[in-house]
Amino acid sequence: MEYISIFFQYVGQYLKTRLTYRADMIVEIFSDLLFQAVNLVFILVVFGHTNLLAGWSKDEMIFIYGFFLVPFSIFASFFNIWDFTDRYIVKGEMDRILTRPVHSLFQIVLERMELESLFGVVTGLVVMFYAGDKLGLEISWYDPFIFILLVIGGALVYAGIFIALATIGFWSDSRTDIMPMMYNIGNYGRYPVDIYNKVIKYVLTWILPFAFVGVYPSSYFLEREEWYTYAFLTPVVGIVFFLIAVTLWNVGVTKYRGAGN
Amino acid sequence: MQNIIDVQGLKKEFKSFSSRSGLKGAFRDLFTRNYTIKTAVDDISFTIKKGEMVGYIGENGAGKSTSIKMLTGILTPTDGKIVVNGMNPHKEREKFVKTIGVVFGQRSQLWWDIAVQESFRLLKKIYNVPDQQYEEHMKDVIETLDIGPLLDKPVRKLSLGQRMRCELAAALIHNPPLLFLDEPTIGLDVLVKLRIREFLKRINEKYGTTILLTTHDLSDIEALCERVVMLDEGKIIYDGPLKELRENWAEGKQIQFQFSEEATLEELQHLTQEHLVVWEKGESDLVWVASVEADETVISGVIGKVTAAKKIADLKILEISTEEIIRNIYVEGAVRHG
Ligand SMILES: Nc1ncnc2c1ncn2[C@@H]1O[C@H](COP(=O)(O)OP(=O)(O)OP(=O)(O)O)[C@@H](O)[C@H]1O
Ligand SMILES: [Mg+2]
Repeated sequence: MEYISIFFQYVGQYLKTRLTYRADMIVEIFSDLLFQAVNLVFILVVFGHTNLLAGWSKDEMIFIYGFFLVPFSIFASFFNIWDFTDRYIVKGEMDRILTRPVHSLFQIVLERMELESLFGVVTGLVVMFYAGDKLGLEISWYDPFIFILLVIGGALVYAGIFIALATIGFWSDSRTDIMPMMYNIGNYGRYPVDIYNKVIKYVLTWILPFAFVGVYPSSYFLEREEWYTYAFLTPVVGIVFFLIAVTLWNVGVTKYRGAGN
Repeated sequence: MQNIIDVQGLKKEFKSFSSRSGLKGAFRDLFTRNYTIKTAVDDISFTIKKGEMVGYIGENGAGKSTSIKMLTGILTPTDGKIVVNGMNPHKEREKFVKTIGVVFGQRSQLWWDIAVQESFRLLKKIYNVPDQQYEEHMKDVIETLDIGPLLDKPVRKLSLGQRMRCELAAALIHNPPLLFLDEPTIGLDVLVKLRIREFLKRINEKYGTTILLTTHDLSDIEALCERVVMLDEGKIIYDGPLKELRENWAEGKQIQFQFSEEATLEELQHLTQEHLVVWEKGESDLVWVASVEADETVISGVIGKVTAAKKIADLKILEISTEEIIRNIYVEGAVRHG
């Protein structure tokens, strides 16, 4: 409970700071929107030639992209840890974090949040409603709840993978390009996994389970029953990966060496 | 009395990997990597009682910061036992850090972009300090450190001295019974240093706060600490009262002569051969320093012989400073016990 109240204190502080730099905030939201538009155009271009890709229609693809944006934006707002090694290990900022009576990962989440990215949730919903309308999808009363559950699952999958990668910094502070690479791999989860070969499909399901952020949970709303098992596994996979990542983190903290000034 | 800090056989090793050269070397690195072990803190033991102010000193790289980081739960020891405030720092970290305050002079603990006041408010929340306690305690702290006018400025716009005072205040928001200060006066001017010392004395008297302090400025230690722990290459080489350290080492006096004409070492040694004197060249060619026993006949004897033979422009008799005592200890690498 205390953590929730600390969370809101940080959010309040964040908004206060951000509102004094309103222009920055607008630029950031605008560049996010532009990025999302480029991705949509890409889907439209691909479907300029064909109408079906491995049995998925253009509108279904657009729907999946819309869904993906929701957990991804939540992840992007709260887990800005792609530069963790540089910022906290090499510069020794972790020292400060570790002298405070709140879980270290939680503190980093609070310090690094970028609430502008939450705007992507709105974009995602708009895209989903647009595509859903074209597909003639029905919404039942329990769908919003399932949606929330699947979104949380998807966000946890993303968070889990990136936290696990960040913990590498506790063991080795050498520079790697693994973070940007992982952002690219993450994008593959936006497309139906059956357009890939078996190996990639397996990796995206069980090793780097990005498919649980886009295509699997979306298939529930798209009423593709052959994927329902995977769709409902989403929260489970999310929680499992997140817990593994936090455990790795906790071990990593005991290996922290600090910066020798 | 009760021990606030109890350290037994504490040790910290850092492994640093080195890579072999060439393609073949890189390939071998994949399987077995060459590494060297640096022992930063080597089997140290000490205890600190409630209300003590202890100076933790040593040369650069002696292992002071590393010890403090282990005592505060930031680093996990390689070996040894630490009990601070009745807890094991790195095992029960989150509960433990509520009972300590930490200031690293080299690194800011505050948030860079937000006003000092806002930083304090966040910390108040993090430490879950009740409003009333905060009001009472912090009003006093803010007044004594004279940071009232700085509160609404963002940290990045403060000068070093202003920032350090705010850092101190921030470390005390939860009024911890134990305070770790790693070079809190580094780079500060004399006035700010004095104010910080006054402040530390005050909280030590008022709340009985135990303070462990590292510094390279021995006047800090002289002003604040009765006890010093001296570290060299990761080992404790002295632990005891500052006074004793002075007495055992400051047995002698120094006589500084400024000559009006050139003098040579042989000449001076020859002049004072009946006394035990160590001659050293001073700041310039004309300045020579004689270290002698603190004995009246010797002092006057040396002065008499030298002034009879050579023209002098100035003459000073100096006490050996703590600074010098410490330097001598570093040079000899061990402490004489009296
Ligand atoms: N993270 C680290 N990795 C490797 N070696 C380290 C690390 N931190 C410290 N060391 C080494 O341990 C030794 C002790 O360092 P430490 O920072 O404790 O010294 P110190 O007494 O605080 O010195 P200073 O007065 O310069 O602050 C040094 O030789 C340093 O190079
Ligand atoms: Mg140091």
